[in-house]
Amino acid sequence: MSQKQKQPSTREMKQRLKRAEPYVWMLPSILLMCAMIVVPIITVFRLSMSEISRANRVKGFNGLENFKDVIASPTFWNTLRNTLIWTVAVVGFSTLIGFVLAMVLNQNFRGRKVVRALVIFPWATSLIIQAVIWKYIINADYGALNVLLSKLGLIDHFVNWTATAGAFFAWECWVGIFVTVPFVTFCVLSGLQSIDTTYYEAAAVDGASFWRKLFNITLPLVRPSLTVSTVLNIIYVFNSFPIIWTISKGDPADKTHTLVTYLYKLSFTLGKSGQAAAVSVIGFIILAVCAGIYMMISLRGEEAD
Amino acid sequence: MDRRKPWQTVLLYLFVFVVCIVILYPYIVMFSTAAKTDAEMYSANPTIFPIEWQWSNFIDAWKAAPVFKYFLNSIIVAGGATLVAILCGIPAAYAMARMRFKGKGFFLGAVIMSQMFSPVVLLVGIYNVMTTMHLTNSLLGLVLLNAAFNQAFAIWLLRGTFLSISSEMEQAAKIDGCGTVQALLRVLLPVSAPGIVTALIFVFINAWNEYTIALSLISDDLLKPITVGINVFYGYNFIQWQYLFATSLFATIPVIILFLCIEKHLVAGLTAGGVKG
Amino acid sequence: MKKSLALLLALAMVLALAACSNTTTPSGGGSATPAPQTAAPQGGGEKVTLNVIISQYGNYTQDWWPTFEKDFEDTYSNIDLNVEIVSWNDLYTVVSTRISTNQAPDILNIDTFADYVADDLLVPAEEYTSAELKAKLIPSFWTANELDGTVWALPILASCRALFCNMDLLNEAGITAPPKTWDEVDAACKAVLDTFNGSIVPWGLDISGDEGQAAFAYYTWNNGGGFVDADGNWALNSAENVEAMNYIKSLIDNGYCNANPYTDTRYPLQDAFNAGSQAMMIGACNMMSADSEVNYVVADLPTQTGTPVAMGVCDRLMVFDSSVTASKNADEAARLDAVSKFFDFFYDTNRYSEYMVYEGFLPVTTDSSELLAKSADQFSVGGTGAPGDNEYFANFSSILLSCDFYPSSRAEWIDVKQGVIDAEQRICQGEDAQTVLDALQAQIAG
Repeated sequence: MSQKQKQPSTREMKQRLKRAEPYVWMLPSILLMCAMIVVPIITVFRLSMSEISRANRVKGFNGLENFKDVIASPTFWNTLRNTLIWTVAVVGFSTLIGFVLAMVLNQNFRGRKVVRALVIFPWATSLIIQAVIWKYIINADYGALNVLLSKLGLIDHFVNWTATAGAFFAWECWVGIFVTVPFVTFCVLSGLQSIDTTYYEAAAVDGASFWRKLFNITLPLVRPSLTVSTVLNIIYVFNSFPIIWTISKGDPADKTHTLVTYLYKLSFTLGKSGQAAAVSVIGFIILAVCAGIYMMISLRGEEAD
Repeated sequence: MDRRKPWQTVLLYLFVFVVCIVILYPYIVMFSTAAKTDAEMYSANPTIFPIEWQWSNFIDAWKAAPVFKYFLNSIIVAGGATLVAILCGIPAAYAMARMRFKGKGFFLGAVIMSQMFSPVVLLVGIYNVMTTMHLTNSLLGLVLLNAAFNQAFAIWLLRGTFLSISSEMEQAAKIDGCGTVQALLRVLLPVSAPGIVTALIFVFINAWNEYTIALSLISDDLLKPITVGINVFYGYNFIQWQYLFATSLFATIPVIILFLCIEKHLVAGLTAGGVKG
Repeated sequence: MKKSLALLLALAMVLALAACSNTTTPSGGGSATPAPQTAAPQGGGEKVTLNVIISQYGNYTQDWWPTFEKDFEDTYSNIDLNVEIVSWNDLYTVVSTRISTNQAPDILNIDTFADYVADDLLVPAEEYTSAELKAKLIPSFWTANELDGTVWALPILASCRALFCNMDLLNEAGITAPPKTWDEVDAACKAVLDTFNGSIVPWGLDISGDEGQAAFAYYTWNNGGGFVDADGNWALNSAENVEAMNYIKSLIDNGYCNANPYTDTRYPLQDAFNAGSQAMMIGACNMMSADSEVNYVVADLPTQTGTPVAMGVCDRLMVFDSSVTASKNADEAARLDAVSKFFDFFYDTNRYSEYMVYEGFLPVTTDSSELLAKSADQFSVGGTGAPGDNEYFANFSSILLSCDFYPSSRAEWIDVKQGVIDAEQRICQGEDAQTVLDALQAQIAG
């Protein structure tokens, strides 16, 4: 990579120092993450193989018992399916909407600055607050959405927006999308702005259509930005807790849980911390496999550079 | 860019208009609800905007709980976490961008892996660690935790930024007699400013919005950050929507102002970081 | 702009070198902020530390306790009292996390205790309850906290549930008296629905994770069923219970109740009732707010058996064993003595009566019950500062004595509570009531 400077005297020592240097640079970061993240992770793995009493006291090693209990529960499988839907729907739609929005914001139009500032709002507001406000908006008996629609004359009876578990979950996905779009938009916008306009000028001379420009110039060039936002979003959305917990707590009948809310309920409402730890380990494994695949692809790509 | 046809312009403005309405809607609801009276909130003849604007709610919210203190705590936690995350992240990202060493791939992988557990999942483990370190019920504990949970993003983004900058200038500086540290400080960091600003913002927002850890670690009311503090208005027994929304608006404003100040850098920084992400 | 940014970053970097060494090493960080919770008393004075978690009963709970704390510490200078108010939203999370890390409070205010007894985490109540205190607690509340022959907790306060009816709305719909049976409930709901064209919610129903077990109790008890049979064995799948569950479902299906009983806790329902946009609900005795203009009557729960069963709820105070507490007091006898003083101080006739009026809950001691029935008006209600209502305390305190309570001192209670909530939600979502309750019964008793 870089041309190393060579200085005389005790070469051996210098060489050794040189080899240790990168680790010294990373030491603060490593220490911080080990203490705050790695140690807790080890604890969770240990708890997942422990018998834990309802009052949350560790009673001893019990092998894979917790995992067996988790897998035997139909709620777990339903939750796993929900988690998949949740992650794919939220990340997918946010990426799509965010991409379109970024394309629009990259145009020149009056008020562009204002709109760009507005797009930041959902990102800058705490998730808890967003979840609470949306819960209030969609409430069927006195919620703001029903009031608005009936005042506008669009409905004459209040609509029960969350009549079924599926409807509930769809609204939760919507809130997830609402808060995730800004991040995607800004990632894509940064990608768009780094594209050299001469590409488009050349394409215009060739008389290329909008779609051809989109697929041949725009998409390939913003791909790195899209990748960053997608990978991060998958992790964040998969692990997202406040939206679902605030809006439905996994109810009705545990049909709107994702893994994180489910394990929270297992641990703190049902007093089954061992099973909760097992669920978090399962979630970790799922993400780790995805990450492993991504790392293999991206690191290989980097070496090829 | 090519010129737009009239119908495209109309479509563009229509789209932008819809987007604005959708984004603003929750905030309008928040604002108008915050100014309603209790009776009007649940009235049989509900209103969009209050018939009688009860502005005193905004002031009462501050009196009902130490909102200002919550606010200050949030600033300390988010600011502190940002500082620590960046200060630890810069050298690590530098090493990973500019140096060759054994285990680099492993470390990069580990950084990503560390993000795969959300704090909620690790709650018991975190509480254990913090108890051993006597950091429960302390803002410093929150600062360190938030810094740690945002390390991965900071390192990733900064590394991308550093990679996108040619190392030639640093080489030149070193030949001129600068040490590695000086080369980093004087040459690389000023050029990477946009990327650093972006990382700062991300960490700040994440720390500002963190809820679960603070909830279980902080027991002293005067040490609560605002996300946990507003729970006073959102208990199981009662919901004081007005105060809740009034305080939420207060909590949102500084972040939005921060964003507006920094927006230009944000986009530029993501460009730099994204290219090599 | 660029220059100033660079300057800023340089400054940050200088700070970095200073801060990195300090903040990232775990051991260095501890001293910066005091952690009152874990501060162990040292040296000669032997100050006793008592950590107390009090659950948040209302909007103003956090305003009453600091005064208590100060008064207590003024009286007992050798006791360091830390009262922490925790919302019911977070109570279980906070307590469970603390217990798992040996950071439990000395005294905890929560609803159940069986799980803690199972792990030997509690101190029997006899060891810290003074003779005077024991003498003035209403006997049934003392024995209600018995498990395997030992009393493990003290009652902190109680409430009872009744049917609240907005008479203006009911009269307008042509209903002149509160409904007494389920048929009458149905008729009243239908009348309200028709009269107001859907803008008034006829009946408030809460089968949420918050208190779904209460709905189970309201409807099964008043249909001759319940959690246990006459011999005290779990009997969750009785025919009466199945019928009651199907009745709850019919309330939802007919559109008689609030749209989302799965997530609406009773609190928004109370607010709606107070604002006059809901005609009836079963609620706690203290659910009416002082500024409500609703013309309401309080009635017995509707019943199918002819004799309405009222429901009482009682929360507890319990003392944790010193091996799991955060306070780390060296002298256990001194700690229990301090605990004892805390309770005597808290249940002091005047102070306790004041707190009951403040929160609007019913006292569990005989002296305060008598005092409040006569002169609750010498104390004031939290937040509004209005004087207490003598009649309210006289009426409800006498109803309280005839109430039924959850079988919450049993070891299986938490599973039963969560089980019936889950069952209710499943049944209302369309699953067969008998099948669901059979499965629950098998899981609990089998």
